[in-house]
Amino acid sequence: MNMARNTAIAATLLAMLSACGNDTGDGASGAAIDVLLKTATDAAISRSAAKTEAPKAPPKSPQEAAAEALRVNPAPLIQVGFEGLGRTQIMAMTGQNGGQRTYMTPSEEALIMRGGMLVGTRGLGNDLSVAEPQTEALIRAGRTGTAQRVMRYYSGDGKERPLQFTCTVGAGPKPGVTIESCEGHDTSFQNSYMTQGGQIAVSRQWVGPALGYVTVQTLRP
Amino acid sequence: MRRSLLLRRLMATTLPAAVLLGSVSSTAIAEPVLGQNVSTYGLPGGIDTPTAEMFPDGTLGASVSYSDYGRRTNVVFQAMPRLTTVLRYSRVEGIPDYNSPDHIYDRSFDLRFKFLDEDPEGWRPAVAVGLQDFLGTGVYSGEYIVATKNLTPRIRASAGLGWGTLAGKPRTIDSTDTGGKPTVENWFSGSPKPFGSISWQTTESLSLVAEYSNDEYVARYDNGNHIRTFQEGGKAPDSNFNLAAYYKFGENYEVGLYTIGGNTVGAQFSFALNPRQAPYPSGLEKAPAPVRPRPAPSADPEGWSGQWAQDPTAQPAIQKVLGDALAEEGQVLEAMALSSNRAEVRIRNQRYIQQAEAIGRTARLMTRALPPSVETLVITSSADGVPTSSVTLRRSDVERLENTEAGQIASAAALGDAQPRPADLVYSEGMYPRFRWRISPYLDLGLFDPEEPLRYEVGAEARINYELMPGLIFSGTLRQRAFGDMEQRGPGIPASLNNGQRGDHYTPEEYEADPSLETTPEGVPRVRSDTRMYTGNTSPTIPELTLAWYARPSEQIYTRVTAGLLERAYGGVSAEALWKPVNSPLAFGAEINRVRKRDFDVLFDFRDYEVTTGFVSAYYEFAEGFTAQLDVGKYLAGDKGATVSLTREFANGWQVGAFATKTDLSDEEFGEGSFDKGITLSIPVSWATGTPSRDRASTTIRSLSRDGGSRVQVDGRLYDKVRDTHSVKLYEGWGRFWR
Repeated sequence: MNMARNTAIAATLLAMLSACGNDTGDGASGAAIDVLLKTATDAAISRSAAKTEAPKAPPKSPQEAAAEALRVNPAPLIQVGFEGLGRTQIMAMTGQNGGQRTYMTPSEEALIMRGGMLVGTRGLGNDLSVAEPQTEALIRAGRTGTAQRVMRYYSGDGKERPLQFTCTVGAGPKPGVTIESCEGHDTSFQNSYMTQGGQIAVSRQWVGPALGYVTVQTLRP
Repeated sequence: MRRSLLLRRLMATTLPAAVLLGSVSSTAIAEPVLGQNVSTYGLPGGIDTPTAEMFPDGTLGASVSYSDYGRRTNVVFQAMPRLTTVLRYSRVEGIPDYNSPDHIYDRSFDLRFKFLDEDPEGWRPAVAVGLQDFLGTGVYSGEYIVATKNLTPRIRASAGLGWGTLAGKPRTIDSTDTGGKPTVENWFSGSPKPFGSISWQTTESLSLVAEYSNDEYVARYDNGNHIRTFQEGGKAPDSNFNLAAYYKFGENYEVGLYTIGGNTVGAQFSFALNPRQAPYPSGLEKAPAPVRPRPAPSADPEGWSGQWAQDPTAQPAIQKVLGDALAEEGQVLEAMALSSNRAEVRIRNQRYIQQAEAIGRTARLMTRALPPSVETLVITSSADGVPTSSVTLRRSDVERLENTEAGQIASAAALGDAQPRPADLVYSEGMYPRFRWRISPYLDLGLFDPEEPLRYEVGAEARINYELMPGLIFSGTLRQRAFGDMEQRGPGIPASLNNGQRGDHYTPEEYEADPSLETTPEGVPRVRSDTRMYTGNTSPTIPELTLAWYARPSEQIYTRVTAGLLERAYGGVSAEALWKPVNSPLAFGAEINRVRKRDFDVLFDFRDYEVTTGFVSAYYEFAEGFTAQLDVGKYLAGDKGATVSLTREFANGWQVGAFATKTDLSDEEFGEGSFDKGITLSIPVSWATGTPSRDRASTTIRSLSRDGGSRVQVDGRLYDKVRDTHSVKLYEGWGRFWR
């Protein structure tokens, strides 16, 4: 499958997905039961909408795809490049719990982000269950320091297995970029974050041994 | 106490990080004495000689090795970190028997135990002791002690002492013996000889091996009158030195070429799977729905007040929507009880190997579908209509702990026995009666027939399953054979009735014409040894047609009554009771069956043999996924005895087990093999494909179909139905709660 076409399908489908599956502030304020039903129905709909057949569309560049998604989809959007999988996709927010946001592709693969920091993936085959970066405060404050980072993975035997890394946070070579260099278990990786006004706008983060890095760009916060 | 132990186990990291990091770790030779190559006997080793190497714990592999001396098909299982087991089925050339003038088929079983670990820094090698072909005296019987040491990261040397075949002094096989029992008195007897091997890992894929072996490839038989010696393959190795090159490809495969002496060349292929290294460790199933936190009370005062519960239309509407959402997740919402602050759902998981994943996904959907005043979420797992356990969660915990490690929600959740009949339980609309059917092809395999080691039959089958009410299930199978070489055949004619000649069989006509043949000359009713009479039917057959009733009279007791055509060869009534508290690793069961032998056309007729069998059973779940089962009772042939089974189950659903049955039948009455024993294997399909499914590929490899220690095979035995959702297994897989 070529990437551009994937992206196009993604954009088109996302429009449908978020149109139905998104939180709506404007509630039909009728009888209690109506509200209930609407809430409940969302649970079902967000799953089925993504299955609708995508109309054939000409291939688009990531930029075009992003522009289209922004036009048709009112939800918070991110554009994600999966370096390990060799594809770039637009993902729309499908849920928010406290500071944690779940973004999904139309085929219901998910990235879970907390203020721009990757905390988990779902549906990618080698998922990160949860990341516990104690470096988070340093990164957000733009300070230098050392802290632990625990990454938990779903292993083949049905368990959750933690890997622990020691990370050093500091300013990168480019202004505005914070680098988090982690080491442990005979491996090392480097996450980079570009912060604007306390928000992580663009980042490149390591998911795990199998998936490698993802680059995450905020299209609409 | 028990629970905290389970939690600790769940959160413990017993796995070396290397497994997770496999693809990025820089050296291929990460662990010192893990097996590099597979020997012709299927274990880690040189070529014919053993080493003290082990496979990674849990590895399941198979290999086929072929040379002029014969063909060895080996299944290997690393049962424990220090224990390797092998089941081998070999064709040995150059030995005549009643089936063939020039080869025999032989089964054998090996064990290897490593009792000393290598000291990678110092001089101490790994040392192992092994028993080769140790159940009865066989062609390959021998024992060894061997030491293995890494000389450099790429060169590994092994040296040891071998007895029996490994010393070139094969034990004499008593061909009048029924075999199948360990011959302890022979172990480590006779004078040993040294052997050794060196392996050189030239690149990541290619390794070269040289060894010094004493195997003469000779077999000696004693038929009571005289001893005969056979040279396997018609020629002795002309030297003690053997050479091999092994090439690894992919993650799991290896091919090898080897020489035995200077005059014989062999080839082999092997693969090894590790249950911990799935192609898609987290599975490819879609992301779960995110938890939806509740709005502030001021934003939804009505929902928080609980007044909605007065509306009689509320529950049906919510139940419908939640049921539809769960159906998308491969779960059936059987029933629901809803009040203003508590919701209990009864779910039937039809997709996920780990019940915890089904429960986690249900909890997520409940946060999305239920009004805010509902704080207590009870998720009751159901096994075909019978509630088996309940997980109780606080909704605020689910909201708070989404995207944290699974151990946290495990501490916050309470697992308990499900209430058998909650008062306000409402079954989902259209749930009962529930009718399902399926038409599909089938493939039946028959293994280990000495005339034709692999027989098959292909055809079409229709299955129906009709649930009349919760727990009451009518089911049946109709089969039509299309083609295959599993023909109808009578049992073997005992040598004593055939002028000492073995290997002949009664024709189906002879067998049916003379009812006295349905008892062996030793007086044992033929309850399984005529199993081939049930095969090869060209007209439609009904292997099963039963009405089963599953119930739960009290919180910790489950019952089953099954009546009808229970299996291909027996019909009747089977009743079972099981005591299994949800948090107990111990369970007890009792079973009684009144059955009659079915006619060979596998339809509605019966034969004369009728018997009552019954068992009491004890089950215990140990740590690390080991389950032991002991059954004591009366078997199909009226013999009394006990069955011991030990199964290792991995959290991802792999099951590997062994069982043995000994009854009051004498070895002679039982016949070849002396007692019934076998190996069971079950691998979930999802492990290989990544696609979530509860389908399994299962098989039982056992001794020949003999009459002693046989049981009626009734579907839906309670222990297996109940256990997935009970504490040990549930917590083993709890790591997938948030998956």
